[in-house]
Amino acid sequence: MKMIFVVTAAVAALGWMSCQPARANNLVGGDEGKLPLTAGFSDLEGSGGGGLVPMAFITGYGSSSSWGANAHFTNIQLRDLHLYTYGVAAGLFDRIELSYTRQQLDVTGTALDGLGVKQDVFGLKLKLLGDAVYGQDSWLPQIAIGAQYKHNDGIKNAEAVGLPGLINPKQLGAQAEHAADIYLAATKIFLAQSLVANVVIRETKANQFGLLGFGGDRHRGYSTRPEATLAYLLTRKLALGGEFRAGPHNLTVDDQTNAWTLFAAWAPTTNISLVAAYLNIGSVLAPVTTVTRHQSGPYLSVQAGF
Amino acid sequence: MGMRVVDWVMQGCQAAVLMLTMAVAHAGPSLYERIGGEAKLKATVDEFTNIILADDRINFTFADSDMNKFKKLLFEQICALTQGPCTYTGRDMHEAHAKLNLNNAQFNALAEDLYIAFDRVHVPYRVQNKVMALLAPMQRDVVKPGFVAPGTQKPPSNVK
Repeated sequence: MKMIFVVTAAVAALGWMSCQPARANNLVGGDEGKLPLTAGFSDLEGSGGGGLVPMAFITGYGSSSSWGANAHFTNIQLRDLHLYTYGVAAGLFDRIELSYTRQQLDVTGTALDGLGVKQDVFGLKLKLLGDAVYGQDSWLPQIAIGAQYKHNDGIKNAEAVGLPGLINPKQLGAQAEHAADIYLAATKIFLAQSLVANVVIRETKANQFGLLGFGGDRHRGYSTRPEATLAYLLTRKLALGGEFRAGPHNLTVDDQTNAWTLFAAWAPTTNISLVAAYLNIGSVLAPVTTVTRHQSGPYLSVQAGF
Repeated sequence: MGMRVVDWVMQGCQAAVLMLTMAVAHAGPSLYERIGGEAKLKATVDEFTNIILADDRINFTFADSDMNKFKKLLFEQICALTQGPCTYTGRDMHEAHAKLNLNNAQFNALAEDLYIAFDRVHVPYRVQNKVMALLAPMQRDVVKPGFVAPGTQKPPSNVK
Protein backbone atom coordinates (compact mmCIF):
# COMPACT_ATOMS: atom_id res chain seq x y z
CA MET A 1 0.00 0.00 0.00
CA LYS A 2 2.98 2.31 0.57
CA MET A 3 3.63 2.31 -3.12
CA ILE A 4 0.26 3.66 -4.04
CA PHE A 5 0.85 6.73 -1.88
CA VAL A 6 4.24 7.29 -3.48
CA VAL A 7 2.89 7.05 -7.01
CA THR A 8 -0.18 9.11 -6.20
CA ALA A 9 2.01 11.82 -4.67
CA ALA A 10 4.29 11.76 -7.71
CA VAL A 11 1.41 12.09 -10.14
CA ALA A 12 -0.23 14.79 -8.03
CA ALA A 13 3.04 16.75 -8.05
CA LEU A 14 3.35 16.43 -11.83
CA GLY A 15 -0.29 17.41 -12.16
CA TRP A 16 0.27 20.47 -10.02
CA MET A 17 3.27 21.47 -12.13
CA SER A 18 1.22 21.05 -15.28
CA CYS A 19 -1.48 23.32 -13.87
CA GLN A 20 0.94 26.21 -13.47
CA PRO A 21 0.51 29.18 -15.84
CA ALA A 22 3.70 28.32 -17.69
CA ARG A 23 2.14 25.19 -19.09
CA ALA A 24 1.53 26.65 -22.52
CA ASN A 25 5.23 27.15 -23.02
CA ASN A 26 6.91 24.10 -21.60
CA LEU A 27 7.04 20.38 -22.01
CA VAL A 28 7.65 19.46 -18.35
CA GLY A 29 4.00 19.34 -17.42
CA GLY A 30 1.41 18.03 -19.79
CA ASP A 31 -0.74 20.40 -21.84
CA GLU A 32 -4.03 18.77 -20.74
CA GLY A 33 -4.99 19.34 -24.33
CA LYS A 34 -7.64 16.65 -24.82
CA LEU A 35 -11.37 16.93 -24.46
CA PRO A 36 -13.05 15.43 -21.37
CA LEU A 37 -13.79 11.68 -21.60
CA THR A 38 -11.27 11.16 -24.43
CA ALA A 39 -8.31 10.30 -22.21
CA GLY A 40 -9.34 6.80 -21.22
CA PHE A 41 -10.21 5.63 -17.75
CA SER A 42 -7.99 3.03 -16.04
CA ASP A 43 -9.46 -0.38 -16.77
CA LEU A 44 -9.09 -3.52 -14.65
CA GLU A 45 -5.62 -4.12 -16.07
CA GLY A 46 -4.53 -0.47 -15.98
CA SER A 47 -4.91 0.25 -19.69
CA GLY A 48 -6.80 3.29 -20.91
CA GLY A 49 -10.40 2.25 -21.53
CA GLY A 50 -13.53 1.81 -19.48
CA GLY A 51 -13.76 -0.61 -16.58
CA LEU A 52 -13.31 -4.05 -18.09
CA VAL A 53 -12.35 -3.37 -21.70
CA PRO A 54 -9.49 -1.26 -23.07
CA MET A 55 -10.05 1.33 -25.78
CA ALA A 56 -7.94 2.80 -28.58
CA PHE A 57 -7.61 6.08 -26.62
CA ILE A 58 -4.14 6.82 -25.24
CA THR A 59 -4.33 7.46 -21.50
CA GLY A 60 -3.76 10.90 -20.01
CA TYR A 61 -4.80 14.35 -21.17
CA GLY A 62 -1.63 15.12 -23.12
CA SER A 63 -2.27 16.05 -26.74
CA SER A 64 -0.17 14.91 -29.68
CA SER A 65 2.39 17.59 -28.78
CA SER A 66 2.64 16.69 -25.12
CA TRP A 67 2.19 13.93 -22.55
CA GLY A 68 0.01 12.94 -19.67
CA ALA A 69 0.16 10.62 -16.69
CA ASN A 70 -2.14 9.31 -14.00
CA ALA A 71 -2.47 7.02 -11.00
CA HIS A 72 -5.54 5.00 -10.18
CA PHE A 73 -7.13 2.96 -7.46
CA THR A 74 -9.99 0.57 -8.13
CA ASN A 75 -12.03 -1.32 -5.56
CA ILE A 76 -14.34 -4.16 -6.54
CA GLN A 77 -16.48 -6.15 -4.14
CA LEU A 78 -18.08 -9.16 -5.78
CA ARG A 79 -20.22 -11.78 -4.07
CA ASP A 80 -17.32 -13.85 -2.70
CA LEU A 81 -14.33 -11.94 -4.02
CA HIS A 82 -12.64 -8.66 -3.18
CA LEU A 83 -10.42 -7.31 -5.94
CA TYR A 84 -8.48 -4.12 -5.80
CA THR A 85 -6.00 -2.69 -8.23
CA TYR A 86 -3.72 0.33 -8.24
CA GLY A 87 -1.21 1.57 -10.71
CA VAL A 88 0.27 4.30 -12.84
CA ALA A 89 0.14 5.06 -16.54
CA ALA A 90 1.58 7.57 -18.98
CA GLY A 91 0.55 8.62 -22.45
CA LEU A 92 3.20 10.07 -24.78
CA PHE A 93 2.29 12.33 -27.71
CA ASP A 94 -1.18 10.76 -27.83
CA ARG A 95 0.57 7.86 -29.51
CA ILE A 96 2.13 5.52 -26.93
CA GLU A 97 0.69 4.35 -23.62
CA LEU A 98 2.71 2.72 -20.83
CA SER A 99 1.11 1.34 -17.69
CA TYR A 100 1.83 -0.67 -14.58
CA THR A 101 -0.89 -2.09 -12.36
CA ARG A 102 -0.89 -4.28 -9.29
CA GLN A 103 -3.96 -6.48 -8.77
CA GLN A 104 -4.86 -8.17 -5.52
CA LEU A 105 -7.67 -10.68 -5.19
CA ASP A 106 -8.91 -11.95 -1.83
CA VAL A 107 -11.58 -14.57 -1.48
CA THR A 108 -14.13 -13.31 1.07
CA GLY A 109 -16.62 -16.18 0.99
CA THR A 110 -17.12 -19.85 0.11
CA ALA A 111 -14.86 -22.70 1.26
CA LEU A 112 -11.88 -20.72 -0.04
CA ASP A 113 -12.44 -17.72 2.28
CA GLY A 114 -9.03 -16.17 2.99
CA LEU A 115 -7.21 -17.26 -0.15
CA GLY A 116 -5.33 -14.50 -1.94
CA VAL A 117 -3.66 -13.90 -5.31
CA LYS A 118 -1.53 -10.99 -6.52
CA GLN A 119 -0.57 -10.09 -10.03
CA ASP A 120 1.50 -7.43 -11.82
CA VAL A 121 0.37 -6.16 -15.20
CA PHE A 122 2.67 -4.17 -17.49
CA GLY A 123 0.84 -2.55 -20.37
CA LEU A 124 1.94 -1.09 -23.68
CA LYS A 125 -0.34 0.43 -26.30
CA LEU A 126 0.39 2.03 -29.64
CA LYS A 127 -2.14 4.11 -31.56
CA LEU A 128 -1.91 2.96 -35.16
CA LEU A 129 -4.32 5.04 -37.24
CA GLY A 130 -7.56 6.94 -37.32
CA ASP A 131 -8.90 9.47 -34.86
CA ALA A 132 -11.96 8.77 -32.76
CA VAL A 133 -12.71 12.48 -32.27
CA TYR A 134 -11.79 14.29 -35.49
CA GLY A 135 -12.75 11.55 -37.95
CA GLN A 136 -16.46 12.39 -37.83
CA ASP A 137 -16.66 12.42 -41.63
CA SER A 138 -15.06 9.00 -41.91
CA TRP A 139 -16.05 5.46 -41.02
CA LEU A 140 -12.49 4.69 -39.94
CA PRO A 141 -12.28 4.27 -36.16
CA GLN A 142 -9.23 5.02 -34.05
CA ILE A 143 -7.23 1.80 -33.97
CA ALA A 144 -4.59 0.80 -31.45
CA ILE A 145 -2.63 -2.35 -30.71
CA GLY A 146 -1.76 -3.24 -27.14
CA ALA A 147 -0.08 -5.80 -24.96
CA GLN A 148 -0.55 -6.60 -21.29
CA TYR A 149 2.27 -8.65 -19.82
CA LYS A 150 0.96 -10.29 -16.67
CA HIS A 151 2.97 -11.95 -13.95
CA ASN A 152 1.07 -13.94 -11.33
CA ASP A 153 2.76 -13.75 -7.92
CA GLY A 154 1.24 -17.00 -6.73
CA ILE A 155 -1.44 -18.12 -4.28
CA LYS A 156 -1.29 -17.03 -0.64
CA ASN A 157 -2.93 -18.47 2.50
CA ALA A 158 -4.00 -21.74 0.89
CA GLU A 159 -3.18 -23.62 4.10
CA ALA A 160 -5.90 -21.60 5.87
CA VAL A 161 -8.54 -23.11 3.60
CA GLY A 162 -7.23 -26.65 3.99
CA LEU A 163 -5.13 -26.72 0.83
CA PRO A 164 -1.56 -26.67 2.25
CA GLY A 165 1.07 -26.61 -0.44
CA LEU A 166 -1.11 -24.79 -2.98
CA ILE A 167 1.11 -21.86 -3.91
CA ASN A 168 1.01 -21.69 -7.67
CA PRO A 169 -1.79 -21.58 -10.25
CA LYS A 170 0.06 -24.31 -12.16
CA GLN A 171 -1.15 -26.68 -9.42
CA LEU A 172 -4.70 -25.89 -10.57
CA GLY A 173 -3.82 -26.98 -14.08
CA ALA A 174 -2.47 -23.72 -15.51
CA GLN A 175 0.44 -23.96 -17.91
CA ALA A 176 2.30 -20.83 -16.81
CA GLU A 177 2.55 -18.08 -14.18
CA HIS A 178 3.07 -15.33 -16.72
CA ALA A 179 1.98 -14.48 -20.25
CA ALA A 180 1.01 -11.54 -22.38
CA ASP A 181 -2.41 -10.65 -23.75
CA ILE A 182 -2.28 -8.99 -27.17
CA TYR A 183 -5.24 -6.91 -28.30
CA LEU A 184 -6.42 -4.75 -31.15
CA ALA A 185 -8.89 -2.00 -30.16
CA ALA A 186 -11.06 0.04 -32.53
CA THR A 187 -12.84 3.03 -30.98
CA LYS A 188 -15.24 5.42 -32.69
CA ILE A 189 -17.15 8.38 -31.32
CA PHE A 190 -20.40 8.82 -33.24
CA LEU A 191 -20.65 12.43 -32.14
CA ALA A 192 -23.84 13.26 -34.03
CA GLN A 193 -25.52 10.39 -32.14
CA SER A 194 -23.68 11.07 -28.84
CA LEU A 195 -22.44 7.47 -28.87
CA VAL A 196 -19.07 5.82 -28.31
CA ALA A 197 -18.52 2.34 -29.73
CA ASN A 198 -15.46 0.20 -29.09
CA VAL A 199 -14.57 -3.27 -30.29
CA VAL A 200 -11.57 -5.27 -29.10
CA ILE A 201 -10.12 -8.56 -30.32
CA ARG A 202 -7.88 -10.11 -27.67
CA GLU A 203 -5.44 -12.97 -27.96
CA THR A 204 -5.25 -14.37 -24.45
CA LYS A 205 -4.21 -17.34 -22.34
CA ALA A 206 -5.28 -15.68 -19.09
CA ASN A 207 -7.55 -17.61 -16.72
CA GLN A 208 -9.72 -15.06 -14.87
CA PHE A 209 -7.55 -12.18 -16.16
CA GLY A 210 -4.42 -14.19 -15.20
CA LEU A 211 -5.29 -14.41 -11.50
CA LEU A 212 -5.59 -18.19 -12.02
CA GLY A 213 -2.55 -18.41 -14.28
CA PHE A 214 -2.26 -18.87 -18.02
CA GLY A 215 -3.33 -21.73 -20.25
CA GLY A 216 -4.72 -24.90 -18.76
CA ASP A 217 -5.50 -28.56 -18.92
CA ARG A 218 -8.51 -28.00 -21.22
CA HIS A 219 -6.75 -25.59 -23.57
CA ARG A 220 -3.05 -24.83 -23.41
CA GLY A 221 -2.51 -21.89 -25.72
CA TYR A 222 -3.97 -18.61 -26.93
CA SER A 223 -7.66 -18.07 -27.63
CA THR A 224 -9.13 -15.23 -29.66
CA ARG A 225 -11.82 -13.45 -27.68
CA PRO A 226 -14.04 -10.43 -28.52
CA GLU A 227 -14.82 -7.52 -26.24
CA ALA A 228 -16.98 -4.45 -26.75
CA THR A 229 -18.02 -1.17 -25.19
CA LEU A 230 -21.03 0.95 -25.99
CA ALA A 231 -21.54 4.25 -24.20
CA TYR A 232 -23.93 7.15 -24.45
CA LEU A 233 -22.59 10.66 -23.89
CA LEU A 234 -25.06 12.17 -21.47
CA THR A 235 -23.07 15.36 -20.95
CA ARG A 236 -19.66 16.63 -21.99
CA LYS A 237 -18.21 15.01 -18.88
CA LEU A 238 -20.46 12.03 -18.18
CA ALA A 239 -20.95 8.83 -20.14
CA LEU A 240 -23.22 5.89 -19.37
CA GLY A 241 -22.57 2.52 -20.92
CA GLY A 242 -21.91 -1.15 -20.83
CA GLU A 243 -19.08 -3.49 -21.62
CA PHE A 244 -18.79 -7.12 -22.58
CA ARG A 245 -15.70 -9.30 -22.41
CA ALA A 246 -15.56 -12.93 -23.48
CA GLY A 247 -13.18 -15.11 -21.50
CA PRO A 248 -11.33 -18.27 -22.48
CA HIS A 249 -12.11 -21.56 -20.72
CA ASN A 250 -8.78 -23.29 -20.13
CA LEU A 251 -9.10 -24.92 -16.70
CA THR A 252 -11.25 -27.86 -15.63
CA VAL A 253 -11.41 -26.44 -12.09
CA ASP A 254 -12.66 -23.04 -13.30
CA ASP A 255 -15.67 -22.79 -15.57
CA GLN A 256 -14.80 -19.28 -16.72
CA THR A 257 -17.53 -17.55 -18.69
CA ASN A 258 -17.99 -14.01 -19.94
CA ALA A 259 -17.85 -10.78 -17.98
CA TRP A 260 -19.80 -7.56 -18.36
CA THR A 261 -20.32 -4.16 -16.77
CA LEU A 262 -22.84 -1.38 -16.66
CA PHE A 263 -21.00 1.84 -15.91
CA ALA A 264 -21.08 5.57 -15.39
CA ALA A 265 -17.83 7.32 -16.28
CA TRP A 266 -17.38 10.86 -15.08
CA ALA A 267 -14.54 13.29 -15.79
CA PRO A 268 -15.39 16.42 -13.76
CA THR A 269 -11.96 17.93 -14.57
CA THR A 270 -8.91 16.83 -16.53
CA ASN A 271 -7.32 15.91 -13.19
CA ILE A 272 -9.91 13.53 -11.74
CA SER A 273 -11.85 10.70 -13.34
CA LEU A 274 -14.32 8.35 -11.68
CA VAL A 275 -15.96 5.17 -12.86
CA ALA A 276 -18.81 3.58 -10.95
CA ALA A 277 -19.98 0.27 -12.34
CA TYR A 278 -21.78 -2.94 -11.71
CA LEU A 279 -19.40 -5.75 -12.65
CA ASN A 280 -20.30 -9.37 -13.31
CA ILE A 281 -17.45 -11.80 -14.06
CA GLY A 282 -19.53 -14.98 -14.05
CA SER A 283 -18.68 -17.93 -11.85
CA VAL A 284 -15.16 -18.39 -10.49
CA LEU A 285 -13.71 -21.79 -9.52
CA ALA A 286 -17.25 -23.16 -9.31
CA PRO A 287 -16.28 -26.85 -9.27
CA VAL A 288 -14.01 -26.15 -6.27
CA THR A 289 -16.13 -23.68 -4.35
CA THR A 290 -19.46 -25.29 -5.31
CA VAL A 291 -20.71 -21.70 -5.75
CA THR A 292 -22.13 -21.46 -9.25
CA ARG A 293 -23.79 -18.11 -8.79
CA HIS A 294 -22.33 -15.22 -10.64
CA GLN A 295 -19.67 -13.19 -8.95
CA SER A 296 -20.99 -9.68 -9.32
CA GLY A 297 -21.03 -6.42 -7.42
CA PRO A 298 -19.99 -2.77 -7.33
CA TYR A 299 -16.87 -1.47 -9.07
CA LEU A 300 -15.46 1.91 -8.12
CA SER A 301 -12.40 3.46 -9.72
CA VAL A 302 -10.67 6.77 -9.09
CA GLN A 303 -8.02 8.16 -11.40
CA ALA A 304 -5.94 11.26 -10.70
CA GLY A 305 -3.54 12.80 -13.18
CA PHE A 306 -3.19 15.21 -16.05
CA MET B 1 -46.81 -17.99 -59.19
CA GLY B 2 -43.11 -17.23 -59.18
CA MET B 3 -43.70 -14.03 -61.16
CA ARG B 4 -46.33 -12.92 -58.68
CA VAL B 5 -43.89 -13.27 -55.76
CA VAL B 6 -41.29 -11.28 -57.70
CA ASP B 7 -43.92 -8.58 -58.34
CA TRP B 8 -44.80 -8.41 -54.67
CA VAL B 9 -41.16 -8.11 -53.72
CA MET B 10 -40.63 -5.38 -56.33
CA GLN B 11 -43.67 -3.46 -55.20
CA GLY B 12 -42.57 -3.87 -51.59
CA CYS B 13 -39.15 -2.49 -52.43
CA GLN B 14 -40.61 0.45 -54.33
CA ALA B 15 -42.91 1.23 -51.41
CA ALA B 16 -39.98 1.01 -48.97
CA VAL B 17 -37.84 3.33 -51.13
CA LEU B 18 -40.73 5.78 -51.42
CA MET B 19 -41.32 5.80 -47.66
CA LEU B 20 -37.61 6.22 -47.00
CA THR B 21 -37.46 9.14 -49.45
CA MET B 22 -40.44 10.76 -47.75
CA ALA B 23 -38.88 10.19 -44.34
CA VAL B 24 -35.65 11.86 -45.44
CA ALA B 25 -37.52 14.71 -47.14
CA HIS B 26 -39.58 15.28 -43.98
CA ALA B 27 -36.82 14.58 -41.47
CA GLY B 28 -38.00 17.45 -39.32
CA PRO B 29 -36.28 20.74 -38.61
CA SER B 30 -32.78 21.41 -39.89
CA LEU B 31 -29.92 21.44 -37.42
CA TYR B 32 -29.85 25.23 -37.78
CA GLU B 33 -33.45 25.32 -36.56
CA ARG B 34 -32.70 22.87 -33.77
CA ILE B 35 -29.93 25.17 -32.52
CA GLY B 36 -32.55 27.89 -32.33
CA GLY B 37 -31.96 29.73 -35.60
CA GLU B 38 -30.27 33.07 -36.10
CA ALA B 39 -30.86 34.48 -32.60
CA LYS B 40 -29.43 31.47 -30.75
CA LEU B 41 -26.50 31.00 -33.12
CA LYS B 42 -25.59 34.71 -32.95
CA ALA B 43 -25.76 34.55 -29.15
CA THR B 44 -23.56 31.44 -29.20
CA VAL B 45 -20.97 33.12 -31.41
CA ASP B 46 -20.95 36.19 -29.13
CA GLU B 47 -20.46 34.04 -26.01
CA PHE B 48 -17.84 31.96 -27.76
CA THR B 49 -15.86 35.04 -28.78
CA ASN B 50 -15.87 36.33 -25.21
CA ILE B 51 -14.74 32.94 -23.90
CA ILE B 52 -11.86 32.45 -26.34
CA LEU B 53 -10.56 35.98 -25.75
CA ALA B 54 -10.41 35.18 -22.03
CA ASP B 55 -8.82 31.77 -22.59
CA ASP B 56 -5.05 31.97 -22.10
CA ARG B 57 -4.58 28.74 -23.98
CA ILE B 58 -5.66 30.28 -27.28
CA ASN B 59 -6.43 34.01 -26.99
CA PHE B 60 -2.99 35.07 -28.29
CA THR B 61 -3.75 33.40 -31.63
CA PHE B 62 -6.46 36.04 -32.16
CA ALA B 63 -4.18 38.96 -31.33
CA ASP B 64 -4.16 40.23 -34.93
CA SER B 65 -7.75 39.27 -35.72
CA ASP B 66 -10.69 41.57 -36.42
CA MET B 67 -13.14 39.96 -34.00
CA ASN B 68 -16.24 41.50 -35.58
CA LYS B 69 -15.28 39.95 -38.89
CA PHE B 70 -14.48 36.69 -37.05
CA LYS B 71 -17.97 36.65 -35.51
CA LYS B 72 -19.65 37.30 -38.84
CA LEU B 73 -17.70 34.58 -40.62
CA LEU B 74 -18.12 32.01 -37.84
CA PHE B 75 -21.87 32.65 -37.81
CA GLU B 76 -22.02 32.22 -41.59
CA GLN B 77 -19.94 29.09 -41.45
CA ILE B 78 -21.95 27.27 -38.78
CA CYS B 79 -25.22 28.52 -40.31
CA ALA B 80 -24.26 27.12 -43.73
CA LEU B 81 -22.95 23.84 -42.27
CA THR B 82 -26.20 23.27 -40.37
CA GLN B 83 -28.42 23.86 -43.45
CA GLY B 84 -29.26 27.41 -42.47
CA PRO B 85 -29.96 30.17 -45.04
CA CYS B 86 -26.38 31.44 -45.24
CA THR B 87 -23.34 31.32 -47.46
CA TYR B 88 -19.89 31.24 -45.94
CA THR B 89 -17.89 34.11 -47.45
CA GLY B 90 -14.59 33.53 -45.64
CA ARG B 91 -11.39 31.88 -46.76
CA ASP B 92 -11.08 28.11 -46.66
CA MET B 93 -10.03 26.79 -43.28
CA HIS B 94 -6.62 25.56 -44.36
CA GLU B 95 -5.67 28.93 -45.85
CA ALA B 96 -7.08 30.85 -42.88
CA HIS B 97 -5.00 28.90 -40.33
CA ALA B 98 -1.83 28.15 -42.27
CA LYS B 99 0.32 30.78 -40.55
CA LEU B 100 -0.95 30.15 -37.02
CA ASN B 101 0.97 26.91 -36.45
CA LEU B 102 -1.83 25.55 -34.25
CA ASN B 103 -1.64 22.24 -32.40
CA ASN B 104 -4.32 19.77 -31.33
CA ALA B 105 -4.46 21.10 -27.78
CA GLN B 106 -5.44 24.53 -29.13
CA PHE B 107 -7.99 23.04 -31.50
CA ASN B 108 -9.48 21.09 -28.59
CA ALA B 109 -9.47 24.18 -26.37
CA LEU B 110 -11.47 25.95 -29.07
CA ALA B 111 -13.91 23.03 -29.23
CA GLU B 112 -14.27 23.05 -25.44
CA ASP B 113 -14.98 26.78 -25.49
CA LEU B 114 -17.66 26.32 -28.14
CA TYR B 115 -19.32 23.64 -26.01
CA ILE B 116 -19.28 26.06 -23.06
CA ALA B 117 -20.75 28.83 -25.25
CA PHE B 118 -23.58 26.50 -26.37
CA ASP B 119 -24.20 25.60 -22.72
CA ARG B 120 -24.49 29.27 -21.76
CA VAL B 121 -27.18 29.93 -24.33
CA HIS B 122 -28.93 26.64 -23.43
CA VAL B 123 -28.53 24.69 -26.66
CA PRO B 124 -29.08 21.03 -25.71
CA TYR B 125 -25.94 18.86 -25.49
CA ARG B 126 -27.23 16.40 -28.12
CA VAL B 127 -27.65 19.28 -30.58
CA GLN B 128 -24.20 20.64 -29.64
CA ASN B 129 -22.69 17.26 -30.55
CA LYS B 130 -24.39 17.30 -33.95
CA VAL B 131 -22.78 20.67 -34.69
CA MET B 132 -19.44 19.47 -33.35
CA ALA B 133 -19.62 16.41 -35.59
CA LEU B 134 -19.65 18.81 -38.58
CA LEU B 135 -16.80 20.94 -37.22
CA ALA B 136 -14.48 18.21 -35.91
CA PRO B 137 -13.08 17.13 -39.32
CA MET B 138 -11.78 20.72 -39.78
CA GLN B 139 -8.97 19.67 -37.44
CA ARG B 140 -7.13 18.39 -40.51
CA ASP B 141 -7.15 21.89 -42.07
CA VAL B 142 -6.70 23.93 -38.89
CA VAL B 143 -3.96 22.00 -37.09
CA LYS B 144 -0.44 21.81 -38.44
CA PRO B 145 0.36 18.12 -39.06
CA GLY B 146 2.93 16.45 -36.86
CA PHE B 147 4.48 17.65 -33.63
CA VAL B 148 3.90 21.30 -32.73
CA ALA B 149 5.85 22.11 -29.61
CA PRO B 150 4.17 24.48 -27.17
CA GLY B 151 5.65 27.95 -27.40
CA THR B 152 6.42 27.79 -31.11
CA GLN B 153 3.33 29.75 -31.97
CA LYS B 154 2.88 33.48 -31.67
CA PRO B 155 4.03 34.43 -28.18
CA PRO B 156 1.42 35.36 -25.56
CA SER B 157 3.02 38.82 -25.36
CA ASN B 158 1.00 39.71 -28.48
CA VAL B 159 -2.11 39.83 -26.30
CA LYS B 160 -3.14 43.40 -25.64
